[in-house]
Amino acid sequence: MRTPNYLDSAPVFNRPLVARCPQDAAAALRLARRPLSALSCSRPERRSDQAWISGSLVQQCRQYGDLPPLTLENIKDRVMYVLKLYDKISPEKLQVSSHFMKDLGLDSLDQVEIIMAMEDEFGFEIPDAEAEKLMTPEEIVQYIANKKDVYE
Amino acid sequence: MASCSRSHVISLYRMLMKESKKFPSYNFRTYALRRVKHGFRENQHVDNPRTLDMLLGQARESLALIKRQFTQGRAVLSAPIKSSMMALLSCQ
Repeated sequence: MRTPNYLDSAPVFNRPLVARCPQDAAAALRLARRPLSALSCSRPERRSDQAWISGSLVQQCRQYGDLPPLTLENIKDRVMYVLKLYDKISPEKLQVSSHFMKDLGLDSLDQVEIIMAMEDEFGFEIPDAEAEKLMTPEEIVQYIANKKDVYE
Repeated sequence: MASCSRSHVISLYRMLMKESKKFPSYNFRTYALRRVKHGFRENQHVDNPRTLDMLLGQARESLALIKRQFTQGRAVLSAPIKSSMMALLSCQ
């Protein structure tokens, strides 16, 4: 009968990243600590698996870093913030629906700079053909929401 | 000629800005961005097609220069490359 010396004999990649989480992790624990060879054979679960851990329950948990989820409100705030930082736009005249060329008096080179600032802010490329059609902050927000699958 | 069309000018501007943003050194980066912006803006109202061709040719050369500069001399910009690049950029 095999003794549960999983931590000694398990290969390195199978060792769990443990964290002292006060959650019920019995099932996860058993699954995490089983070596690969044991997964293939169908042995009954053994309740004595947890015996070797003396203290609190440990759970395998992996933490991934990610940005906060995008919402329409969030996108609109960021777009307006970037536009207010642009020095050729006066913040008082800026509205969500203000046209860059007709209302704000910018030209096409300025519009290219604005779209590049949006690319830097949101971290993805906007191709030329679609970039030259985006003429109001509202359209920019809609385009980014479409690209990033933000549901309305 | 096709090189005189508006969309070509806009796409040249975009590519120049994108490549200029990749300079690792602050001085070159700010200089290149400012020079690109000013260069395009002061020639904004040029109508003569020949002048336009010449200017666009210069813009393409500087784009090729920046791209080469970026891939070749990425880690260290040695002194000869620096001075030749600054000379080329400033004589436009």
